[in-house]
Amino acid sequence: MSVHGLTLTEKVLARCANLPEVRAGDEVRVRPDFVHAYELKGTTDVIERDMPIYGPGKVVAPERYAVFIDHRVPAKLPEQEALHEKTRQWCKKYGMALFDRRGIGHQVASEEGYAIPGSFAVHLDGHISQLGAFGALAIGVRGNVFEAFVSETINLRVPGTTRVILNGSVPHGVSGRDVFNHLLYLHGPQCAAFDVLEFCGPGASTISVEDRQTICGLAMFTGAVSAVFDPVDQYCIEYPKERAPAITLQRSDENAAFTRTFVIDLNEVEPMIVLPPSPANARPLNDHLGIPLTTGYLGSCASGRLTDLRVAARILAGKTLPPGFSLHVVPTSQKIMAEAASDGTLATLIEAGAFLSSPSCDFCSGNIATMASGQTAISTGTLNVPGRMGAVDADIYLASAATLAASALRGRITDPREFLVEQS
Amino acid sequence: MIFLPSSHKARVAWCFGDDFDVDQLIGVANIKVQDEAALTNQVMKQFEDDFLEKMGPGDILVGGRNFGYGHPHAISMRAMRHIGIKAVIAESFFSSFWIGEIGYGMPLLVCPGITAHAKRFDPVVIDFDSYTVSFPETGLTLHCEPYTKREKAILRAGGLKNFLLNERNSKIE
Repeated sequence: MSVHGLTLTEKVLARCANLPEVRAGDEVRVRPDFVHAYELKGTTDVIERDMPIYGPGKVVAPERYAVFIDHRVPAKLPEQEALHEKTRQWCKKYGMALFDRRGIGHQVASEEGYAIPGSFAVHLDGHISQLGAFGALAIGVRGNVFEAFVSETINLRVPGTTRVILNGSVPHGVSGRDVFNHLLYLHGPQCAAFDVLEFCGPGASTISVEDRQTICGLAMFTGAVSAVFDPVDQYCIEYPKERAPAITLQRSDENAAFTRTFVIDLNEVEPMIVLPPSPANARPLNDHLGIPLTTGYLGSCASGRLTDLRVAARILAGKTLPPGFSLHVVPTSQKIMAEAASDGTLATLIEAGAFLSSPSCDFCSGNIATMASGQTAISTGTLNVPGRMGAVDADIYLASAATLAASALRGRITDPREFLVEQS
Repeated sequence: MIFLPSSHKARVAWCFGDDFDVDQLIGVANIKVQDEAALTNQVMKQFEDDFLEKMGPGDILVGGRNFGYGHPHAISMRAMRHIGIKAVIAESFFSSFWIGEIGYGMPLLVCPGITAHAKRFDPVVIDFDSYTVSFPETGLTLHCEPYTKREKAILRAGGLKNFLLNERNSKIE
């Protein structure tokens, strides 16, 4: 008989392993509910090439598979479009769903019903963890995703769970991104190593679902393999379940064996900034105000959703960016772009001088709008390592959409709160 | 063919600090290169111009805590394997790096205390059965964390793909 209760992760993986119970540390063979991959040269084309060599040459239950064309979008070279075409044919051949230039796949997966609370997904990329905003467990396994394309199952070690109890609510002008960076600042880049970060407590429900996607999507920078929000509210309960109606929502038992527990008072969270050259360098924004900037990037799988675009529009409404300042706005998905177009958000940003582009991963990874040597960016992208957005000697500061917009407006790192006076 | 030996006589080719981002091994400008052989002359360039000339047989890397932190790209370690790096020993590893590189067949060992004792060009002996790292010059032996059963099987096969192929062939036989 178990001494301890079970975590959400253990419950989900036990179901996928078809076992009555699994525990953190167990090596298990699990059948993922969903298998995701984005097209990437050297990865998906190699998977396609090798599938018939290492497996039966077909996928079991192709409805579990989803492939996303979100890199090299739009194609700027014929060989990039040729790869897209090859991916289209691959998906057609195996009966796998293809989401072709619909936006960044991790976001599109949520929009398309793949983030069912209690479900389990694998992807080659770790930012898929953002499906945890809805109580889904999604793990990036890098090249090991190959196993899921040649077999119905994949082997993995059941992760432990680092619990983060959130109390209070975030102050005005502070976002989910600041909450994540606050956690990173307090506890460091290994604070959840090999674990799933699980956010719970009374403060969790005060955080918008978009901010939860941001927080969960950045989980890897604490060393975590994934992240979930305790699925207690309407975001999770009302999430469409057509893709797998039998999957039931799971929650951790109160007496589960958590690896460790952190407690965060959301009232104490302030705007944060991540200093170059590492995503580990989260610091309070107030200690780094005034740094001159030349470039801004509002987008990515972490931030580029309606909340982000709207807060930036609110700050930039009726104002003009400094001469020469390049602000690239890239909504995370086509759906988001359409909504932001229909409510006037995009027009506000464009009128302020922002340059609008269609959803793509390529701004975050330096394939489009690359920075020149010596330039300095503020970005809502995922990474700030040298060369991520162009020249290796161009600095990248990571921050929330609000901090980005305020900083873009001034042309230097700026606290957004003065632009976001609370309306009574 | 077994890719993970019981014992490996090694030499420390380089020692890195904490939270090391492996993309720096080849330079971020090169992370989209597909052919590791094309990167031979780029490897470790930003750390030492003549690193390749100082490489010796069985060389390994030593890392601090959280080795591989960030968003590691596979090409970096492919390039390191191509020039002859046989293993990485570190205080701890970044989860995504660990999961990915074990799958690619790269022997990694978690060895608490390694950074305090290892320095460049030290000869060391790695025992992958007893999970120890020994320094013949001082007689010191450090203990490492053992692999799981599956991790060891994957490393012995030379990576996940070989492991899966062996599994498939054994079923067919």
